[in-house]
Amino acid sequence: MKMDQQDFTYINDQHGIELSILIPYEDSIEELAHILIIKHNLPLYIEKELTEHIFEFIEARSSEYFEELSKSIVNKAKDHEIDFEEVTKEWEKVMREEMVEFGEKRCASDEELFATAYHKLVHSPALETMLQLEHMYSKSVRQKAEEKNILIKKLSNRQSEEMNKAVDRLEQDMTETKINELVASHYETHSLLQGKLTSELDTMKEAQRREYREWIMQMVEQNQANSSLPTPNSPLSPAPLKDFPSNESNTSRDQINQSILEESFTIHLGSQLKQMHNIRILSANVMDLCAIEDNELLSEPTPQLLQTALGLYSNDLTGLVLMTDNKIGSRLTQDFQEICQRTTEFHFPHIEEQLDKISDVALQYFKKPLLESSRNAHSELLQPGDFYLTRHSNLAQVHVIFHMVTDDSLRGSDINSRHPVVLGLRHILKTACSNDVTSLTIPLLLQYDMTEEMTINWCEKRAELVFKCVKGFMIEMASWGGSELKNLQFMLPEGISNGVFTSMTEMLPRIFKVCNPKILK
Amino acid sequence: MTIEMTLPLLKDPQMQFGAITFFAKQHQGDTCGSNGLPLTPNSIIIVGRAQILKTIKNPYLCNYLDIIRGKHERTIVVSQYCGTPLINFIEKRPFSVDEIKRIAYQTLEGLKVLHQRKMIHRTLSNENILLQANGDVKLFNYGLFHMSDMGSLVSFPVLQVLYTAPEVYLNGLSSSYSDPKMDIWSLGICLAELALNKVLWSSLKLGQKIRKVTTLLQVDTSIFEKIAREHNCYEQYLELPEDLKDLIEECLNIYPNKRPACDKLIENPCFADFKVKPTKTISKICEPFQIFTIHELYHLWQLAGGDVFQELKKQGLIRSSPPVLSVPSLVLIEGTILGQERNPSTLYDPRIVQMPLDSLYQRFAHIPFPVFYPLIHCKSEIIAKFDPPPYDATGLPLIIKERDPEYQLHRVILLRRLLHGYPFTKDLIFEEANKDIPPFLRGEIWATLLNIKANYDIEYLRIDKFTHTTTDRQIEVDIPRCHQYNELLSSTEGHKKLKRILKAWVCQNSHYVYWQGLDSLTAPFLFLNFNDEAKAFACLSAFVPKFLHNFFLKDNSAVIEEYLCKFSQLIAFHDPHLANHLYEINFYPQLFAIPWFLTLFSHVFPLYKILHLWDKLLLCDSSFPIHIGLSVLTQLRDRLLTSGFNECILLFSDLPEVDIEKCVMLSMATFKITPKSITSRLHENEMFHKKTELDITGIGLEELKKERCSRISVNDVVRLVRSDFEGVVLVDIRNHTVFSRCSVVGSINIPFSSVSFSENVIENVGAQASTIKSKGDKVLVVIGDEETDLERFPEFLLQCNISKVCVLHGGFNTLLPITPTILTSTISI
Repeated sequence: MKMDQQDFTYINDQHGIELSILIPYEDSIEELAHILIIKHNLPLYIEKELTEHIFEFIEARSSEYFEELSKSIVNKAKDHEIDFEEVTKEWEKVMREEMVEFGEKRCASDEELFATAYHKLVHSPALETMLQLEHMYSKSVRQKAEEKNILIKKLSNRQSEEMNKAVDRLEQDMTETKINELVASHYETHSLLQGKLTSELDTMKEAQRREYREWIMQMVEQNQANSSLPTPNSPLSPAPLKDFPSNESNTSRDQINQSILEESFTIHLGSQLKQMHNIRILSANVMDLCAIEDNELLSEPTPQLLQTALGLYSNDLTGLVLMTDNKIGSRLTQDFQEICQRTTEFHFPHIEEQLDKISDVALQYFKKPLLESSRNAHSELLQPGDFYLTRHSNLAQVHVIFHMVTDDSLRGSDINSRHPVVLGLRHILKTACSNDVTSLTIPLLLQYDMTEEMTINWCEKRAELVFKCVKGFMIEMASWGGSELKNLQFMLPEGISNGVFTSMTEMLPRIFKVCNPKILK
Repeated sequence: MTIEMTLPLLKDPQMQFGAITFFAKQHQGDTCGSNGLPLTPNSIIIVGRAQILKTIKNPYLCNYLDIIRGKHERTIVVSQYCGTPLINFIEKRPFSVDEIKRIAYQTLEGLKVLHQRKMIHRTLSNENILLQANGDVKLFNYGLFHMSDMGSLVSFPVLQVLYTAPEVYLNGLSSSYSDPKMDIWSLGICLAELALNKVLWSSLKLGQKIRKVTTLLQVDTSIFEKIAREHNCYEQYLELPEDLKDLIEECLNIYPNKRPACDKLIENPCFADFKVKPTKTISKICEPFQIFTIHELYHLWQLAGGDVFQELKKQGLIRSSPPVLSVPSLVLIEGTILGQERNPSTLYDPRIVQMPLDSLYQRFAHIPFPVFYPLIHCKSEIIAKFDPPPYDATGLPLIIKERDPEYQLHRVILLRRLLHGYPFTKDLIFEEANKDIPPFLRGEIWATLLNIKANYDIEYLRIDKFTHTTTDRQIEVDIPRCHQYNELLSSTEGHKKLKRILKAWVCQNSHYVYWQGLDSLTAPFLFLNFNDEAKAFACLSAFVPKFLHNFFLKDNSAVIEEYLCKFSQLIAFHDPHLANHLYEINFYPQLFAIPWFLTLFSHVFPLYKILHLWDKLLLCDSSFPIHIGLSVLTQLRDRLLTSGFNECILLFSDLPEVDIEKCVMLSMATFKITPKSITSRLHENEMFHKKTELDITGIGLEELKKERCSRISVNDVVRLVRSDFEGVVLVDIRNHTVFSRCSVVGSINIPFSSVSFSENVIENVGAQASTIKSKGDKVLVVIGDEETDLERFPEFLLQCNISKVCVLHGGFNTLLPITPTILTSTISI
């Protein structure tokens, strides 16, 4: 928005100058005088006189201009042509929205209080107890879930046995109606048990969540009262551990580690001032970043959780891009949702709740008639390139998930930088940048699963596109004034051939400038 | 005895500062500017616009000190903050009529300065007028409306509810109405509050307050009287003297054009007593010298560990709720962000946080008073004895010295004094700059090192920087790509200034053309003199002829080619091994070094490195850049030696990180030990390089290109032989007979014809091989005459990796006329 200006014509008869000047005039008057002297080939000694003359002209016109402007509005007001109420309301609204002194006096929300408490505690010696506690909670949830599965399995077994028997006796004292009744009653018992167990599990989670949050707040209060940290007491007595041979667990870990192909780079961007970033290419199952190793055998929580817990309320969040389709919470995310539900979510709403809320937000927005033409006006579905975010505290290595909407066009080999998913990637980086997500994992091929069209050629082409686009976005990001992306992970599908992997790691230094190694002498 | 004495200077009650913070408006969605580049973030525009505020110096205005940009568009403004806001006294103690008049007068003086600069206060109120202990007032926060481009760069309205003129409300939110008369109304309200000693409408709610102000337009009688009646102060109103009543009444006119302007109001006879009479005859040439300024205090406070950001955080003005709690829920492909609530901590909070200075006072408590008054010209030993011992920082790395508050205190005090004495203290400044240049004064010191004349601003004023020329397009393309990581240079204001300077340069240098790279060359000067375009231009204008003479000719190939040849020769002179390698793989300087020299490295290094590099460059001559080039290669030597052509090209396509301090040291070292004539060129600026017949002249480019070893002038040889005989080996390649007839003292004879060039083995030169091999760092001068081949032999030595080989320019015969002679004869006659 630039100031409104009005054109006035400056005439200097003595020197034959005619010039249109915009009022209010912002530039230097002396310079204007000199430009005129050069242009009209005038002697230099008139500079003072000319400057003064122009200065007077501009002063006079400026007050004229402002007079015009203000007189009309004041007169209008005097004649009641302006609705004072309207004006007042407009100003009041903005002030209430934008200025602290007039805004609602607002206390910190429960969420914020808990966040502060947790953040404080997690950076204290209580950390170990907290993680232990969380671990124990998760174990009991797992146990419960397992029990649930066993009970249901038992019931199913018994029922099928009963059914078999019934069918066998069909010729004797059973009629079809009776069998149908039996089926119905079986079904009923089954769903009753299922429902009962699920609700038990939910109740358990809810209880855990409440207990845990209360405990945290209590700890912090104690901490404040004593001004030193008390020895943390876990509200739970240690659960009896089943004895398992521990070497077994180690081997399973090793196996997982072996299957991961990875290589890290330090790169720099920028031509003069060089900004460093870490980049890693790895091939693994993307769910490994989410799922906490399901290992009942371990009494200790896995070390990644420590990192994740420490960073949860910090300004260095970790994000992951998952691919999904145009329905919020669609079947594609089923696996992921299941992983979320394996343990109790102590901080954020449960995954279904979050997804429901997102659906509401989307629905509300799409209902509004004022939609840009680019969007399919009648569709209430998301489009490729849109993405929604969920927050998690009970995943292994991530806090924020970006669910990117995609479609089948991604399988083709001819997508370019204007493809909606690539644009979506740019928005993801921007969102990451303005919300302090400083570590991010992106599917290098824009897909996490191996599919049949993934030939070496296809992979190379796709990877080149993603590398180049992401590089461009990162350069752009530098001027957005948010937090910079420190770690960027490019993920390849699990089980990709060594050949493809190597060709990716060879491609990266050709596109990004890799830092020179420092050689100590 | 000294401890109590220093602090009063620092502890001046007016040397206090505070900070306010706010958020700039975020750009909505994904928009591009008209040039197709992404929009400049508003916070950067604000930083650029606010710079000019730092130059406002007036006793009735608080000095602006710094504008800092945080993450996510946060902007922090640091400015002088001292005294107590008037609002704190109202209803607590009465103000006398004289006091009110004095406040009115000084406020008007402050406003006058702003209005002359086409700035509007807009937030003038009794909260922003600070009463000092001596009864003077200072206006605070007067720059917010200007830096936010009339409020358009921030999302909150820039005003003080009660003090805002009614027409401002009527014009609506989005209007950029900027009549200076609105400040006069605010002043009227301020004075009314003081005169009635009442906080106006203090019990009303926000909406009611705004309505109150706007409905004043309906009043047909005196507004001041109405206000007094509303507050049950009519009697007080009646008791006020007429002149004050009239003054307030004049200010509170509902028609802005009927309110008198600042300069009219100041003429009001009731102010006659407060006018500061010009007591002393103030020098017209230079401004009065200030022993210590608040800008220095702030600089030192920062060096001593002061951190505005931390202070704001500590005192609760920057509250950050964890980002994970406020991530959006949905982002659409068009860039629409949904489900993200407005973070309440981004609202505008007008609180001011005073910065604590205690730790700085403690840090400087031991500094004796005389430090502030350094003796510069005094030679007396007796007086010198009483001088405090100099603060010893020698041997510390430059980076450390630049961050040592105490050392910088000494340097700034000394150099600011010297600068005040410029041009008479030119030599002293040069001497001090040789030690190091304090960053705080770098812009001014550079200007003196470049011999800028005092009338530089008038010269700049007279240049037409407005009229369209053919280079405008190129300039406009280059500017948004020039050192944009820097906030000042990427701001709108920075772009405007850079464009004007470049246009001025093009206009002033019609014999030159605008080469890409000139923008990078200008960047450091603009960065250092952001508020003084004219000085930046003057520096550039002095810099180019001194270091880049004729580099910007339309056809500059001859100049550049010669320069690059000299670069190759210098590499050969100091590092034959590397030179041979680069020669073998055909990796010529033409392939990588042109942007280095054309922009004097300002295109390849970030600003902070350029500053350190140029600190030294300005003390040397136009051959110094060649030495810098050599030092860059030396740092990459190991990699270059193991790389082929392709790897080298790749390596230089994006220059790897270079340790700049090492680079400066290396280049200074080679610059000092290299005889001047080794790097002398035909295209040097004669103004800076006077030549005689004993120097090298008249070597054409063709000839130069053939020579891999540099020539050395007679002057240098004579100097070496006379003063540094241990440092030179003279090899005479004329045949034995001529040699024995007459030769330079101490020279050795290797007749050209006796050497076999079939293999690059130094043993081929015969008996003298060991002398040459063990010569170490000595300069090896090859002396021949017309009959000997003066290219083959030195090249042979070079190929044998012998360093510091050079050829006497003009041959043996040029030595004959030298007196006193350095020649001798082995044949006794």
